[in-house]
Amino acid sequence: MSRYFRRKKYCRFTAEGITEVDYKDLAMLKSFISETGRIIPARNTGTKARYQRQLSRAIKYARYLALLPYTDNH
Amino acid sequence: MRHYEIVFLVHPDQSEQVPAMIERYRSLIESGNGRIHRLEDWGRRQLAYPIAKVHKAHYVLLNIECTLETLRELEAAFKFNDAVLRSLVIRRDKAITTPSPLYKEKEKEEGSRSSGASTAPAASSEPAAPAQPTPQPAPAAAAEEATPETAKE
Repeated sequence: MSRYFRRKKYCRFTAEGITEVDYKDLAMLKSFISETGRIIPARNTGTKARYQRQLSRAIKYARYLALLPYTDNH
Repeated sequence: MRHYEIVFLVHPDQSEQVPAMIERYRSLIESGNGRIHRLEDWGRRQLAYPIAKVHKAHYVLLNIECTLETLRELEAAFKFNDAVLRSLVIRRDKAITTPSPLYKEKEKEEGSRSSGASTAPAASSEPAAPAQPTPQPAPAAAAEEATPETAKE
């Protein structure tokens, strides 16, 4: 139907069997924030709703502890 | 008794006092019949944004089991200690004793900086072989992203 080939999105947490998103795993969290530091929506990443909620909480904890930036112009 | 996870940030100028502070909090927790399940000193880290006009802070992670009164005392201690820039308390369901990803990252950095004698005790306490292949890209990615941040500021 669609004219362009698009790679299938999948939920990384379901695929890797992660039960709880950890706010201390910066390498993982960084792949879910944009260049400007915003949280990437689940419709773009394919993350399941349950994990997206955990993810957003984890990112906000990490931001509070200055492990992640709130924006790119601090 | 409930399980809590605490992270607090200490002013870099008061970095030398961290072991004494940890001792004080340990005695406070243990006097209330609490337990420390995990204690990690992440050392001085670059902050993602300045807090109180400082760009670095000393991070300490604690996983404890204690009563509400002890936790209130701890929170008060953080609040009235000027060296503590920030603290975060999260309630957990169970004791967590596995080393956190951040701590592994730090140990790996130190291992690469000073090879040999200093890495030997760390390797004996936890299995080094399965940990090595996976966190390999993490410090590299962190280093790459750290440079443009500092360049901006």
